[in-house]
Amino acid sequence: MLTAELNNSLQEIAQNLGLESVQGKALQEFISKGFPTSKWEEWKYTSLKDFNGIARNWSPKANFTLSSSLDWADFVVQTSNGYVSWDKSRIQEGFALLSFEEFLQKCPQFESTWSKKNPLLEQNSLFDLNVALNPQHMVLWIKKDTEVTKAILHQYQVAASENASAVQARWLIYLEEGAKATFIEQQSSTGSGDILSNFVQEIFVEKGAQFTYLKEQDFQTGVSHVDHTFIYQAEGSQVDTFTFSLNASLIRNNLHFYIEGPQVVSNLNGLYVPGENQLMDSHTVVDHRMPHSESNELYKGVLMGNATGVFNGKIFVRQDAQKTNAFQSCRNVLASTRATMNTKPQLEIWADDVKCSHGTTTGQLNEEALFYMRSRGISLPAARTLLLLAFVQEVINKVEHTEMRELLTEKIVSKIQQSVDLSN
Amino acid sequence: MLSIKNLHASIGEKEILRGIDLEVKAGEVHAIMGPNGSGKSTLASVLAGREDYEVTAGSVQFLGKDLLELAPEERAAEGIFLAFQYPVEIPGVSTTNFLKSAVNEIRKYRGEDPMDAVQFLKMFKEKMAYVNIDQSLLSRALNEGFSGGEKKRNEIFQMAVLDPKLAILDETDSGLDIDALRIVAEGVNKLKGPDNATIVVTHYQRLLDYIVPDYVHVLYKGRIVKSGTKELALELEERGYDWIKSEVDQ
Repeated sequence: MLTAELNNSLQEIAQNLGLESVQGKALQEFISKGFPTSKWEEWKYTSLKDFNGIARNWSPKANFTLSSSLDWADFVVQTSNGYVSWDKSRIQEGFALLSFEEFLQKCPQFESTWSKKNPLLEQNSLFDLNVALNPQHMVLWIKKDTEVTKAILHQYQVAASENASAVQARWLIYLEEGAKATFIEQQSSTGSGDILSNFVQEIFVEKGAQFTYLKEQDFQTGVSHVDHTFIYQAEGSQVDTFTFSLNASLIRNNLHFYIEGPQVVSNLNGLYVPGENQLMDSHTVVDHRMPHSESNELYKGVLMGNATGVFNGKIFVRQDAQKTNAFQSCRNVLASTRATMNTKPQLEIWADDVKCSHGTTTGQLNEEALFYMRSRGISLPAARTLLLLAFVQEVINKVEHTEMRELLTEKIVSKIQQSVDLSN
Repeated sequence: MLSIKNLHASIGEKEILRGIDLEVKAGEVHAIMGPNGSGKSTLASVLAGREDYEVTAGSVQFLGKDLLELAPEERAAEGIFLAFQYPVEIPGVSTTNFLKSAVNEIRKYRGEDPMDAVQFLKMFKEKMAYVNIDQSLLSRALNEGFSGGEKKRNEIFQMAVLDPKLAILDETDSGLDIDALRIVAEGVNKLKGPDNATIVVTHYQRLLDYIVPDYVHVLYKGRIVKSGTKELALELEERGYDWIKSEVDQ
């Protein structure tokens, strides 16, 4: 429940939005629910209870600081505090960046896809908050049979202001039939301060389209980032997601896959490396609604310092989704005795002719292996680093984009090394 | 080179080594034999610095240093090598990467410059010949899915690369067929020189047909109860350990 003070200030904003408008209604919905607390089943380990009493600037201004010249991306678009900016001269044939309203006008056939989209499977007040307050609902539209050669880069940034702030950003990506693209999203922040970053991204992947989505989350201390990525896949499409959570005070990722056609492939890869005073929470949902599809999920975590990690992986195989193959694996290493990991695989299967498996493990580094390495002259910190890097490499090596793979390796190596050195 | 005096070691409440005395000089090969549970592997582990064991009395000098004061990695840098009875699987780390880290950490300890990729390549190639090991094995994750023979061969390859002053082979013959045994023993023999020493820990005499010891010691109930030359090993092969046990237990 929001405090009375916060309740009043948000009510005032709702009035201004118009109580009957979509935004106004969404905000009222949010006000009635408040921020999730540990009493909410899906937020058991990631309580935002304190947020119910923090006064914030609910519409911080844009503050673009990133440079956008990169040779490994075809196109760069930036988001600052929810506002979007891009170099229009670099738009290429085959894709477009436009507002949601404009998109609906230019692509009327999307209307039906949009209207029949599945309702969210979780009660989610932050989604309501985003609907109410996002300043710009952007669409990246990749047209039929278009192949993006290198990658589209999205630099998502939130900037701290004097007071605590709340940033809402909302994107939609639409891949038409046969389109193929790699989308890289680098999430970061500037300045130090308390920022709630609340990001909604909906991705619609039409028949036979292929989409690779690489997300790097590297924020300053003080940032709490809540990420909603909802992916809808049509027949024969393939989506590979890579979520690398490197730094933030708190990261909550809600990644949902809705498999709405046969012969769909969904690959979910994740790596989180929380350190001192960091919490990283991955909630994934793979909803198999149609037959003959497969999903593979590999999540790994290294938890350092007093870090907290959460993994909740839901797989639904609906009655119609016969011949589904769904695999899930979540493995974690507690690199410190003060770290905590909470895992919960959750499979619900209504179809009878399916192959599903899941496994979660959380352990410490193998003492025997450490002694073996030390007996060969490798110091304890170096041995720990070597084992941890070997552990995370499995996920990093799946990234095909060379520059990003190297960048991520460098950042993760340095974070692990620092933590290992501190603990000795 | 190595001087062990009145060494006592326990694990938990249980005393396993109860006063070991042993002198090893450069150029020598010593065999430590004994029945199961006599403390052979414990001795090897204590020398390498395994922290599960607590040394309760005695001293170990290695090349003038107090070995017991050193961490396992420092012992390795000083020139001690333990070939494991059960080499540990290191997922995700190839033998070559593992050894590059080991060699350069040891060089750092000794105040030497790190070796570069070209030097490593040359050195690995040279050492591979000692144990007839295949390049493909070295690129795989260390010991992961290796057969018993491949693991032991890899241990000797590591030994060749690290070039220790004192090599301790802990039951290196266990789980090896006769061909693998010969290859491993040949590797050890090629590495032998006037400046280094070898301690062979074994239950059976058969390894000693290939690695011929200068001295044989029999360990029983945590003490060396008999020492002799290689003929002692042959006698043990013929008569078993019972006669020694009854001599000691009387």
